[in-house]
Amino acid sequence: MEESAAIPAEQPTPTGKNPAVATAVTIAGWLVPGLGHLLLGKWGRALAYFLAVGTLAIAGVALRGNIFSPVGGDAFDRLGFLADLGAGVFYLIARAVADGTADVSRAAGDYGTRFFATAGVLNLLCTLDAREIARGRKS
Amino acid sequence: MPINLSHFQALLLFAIVIALAFAFLTKRRPAERFRYIIWAFLMFLLVAVALGWAMYPLSR
Repeated sequence: MEESAAIPAEQPTPTGKNPAVATAVTIAGWLVPGLGHLLLGKWGRALAYFLAVGTLAIAGVALRGNIFSPVGGDAFDRLGFLADLGAGVFYLIARAVADGTADVSRAAGDYGTRFFATAGVLNLLCTLDAREIARGRKS
Repeated sequence: MPINLSHFQALLLFAIVIALAFAFLTKRRPAERFRYIIWAFLMFLLVAVALGWAMYPLSR
């Protein structure tokens, strides 16, 4: 009776994994698409996510899409910036390579803008996936 | 190196990449992933073509 009434000192997390590892995996996964999964030993997923995000980001730049900057613009530009920023290192490269080359007067340029934003959002989704795996909530 | 894709080529590229990513996000077994990629890719095409035809009368 006493034993059952005793309050355990600390409930283990569902995973029992170190939260610092999950944080490191999250940051790594955001910076370099797929790196979070690579650190967890999920080679196949890491490669798939890197290829998917990289293909969309490179296509977005090559189609001369708009890569949003952190300054200026309206609310939609700021939302676009947040989406683009999700692509991690691809965003930094795109800003350095494709600054001022956007041409959204053509349909292809507009597609490029959407492709790059999709790359960013997709990478955020992959990063969350890696974080959930690191926390043991997902296999 | 700028490229230029037609509407349909852009759709094909987008469909295959998103199908691949979502297959790995949602499925665990390789066979399931493969089936999902095919299914999602074809659904992207089907829905896009269907919406295109549905909007055709509005283009006039």
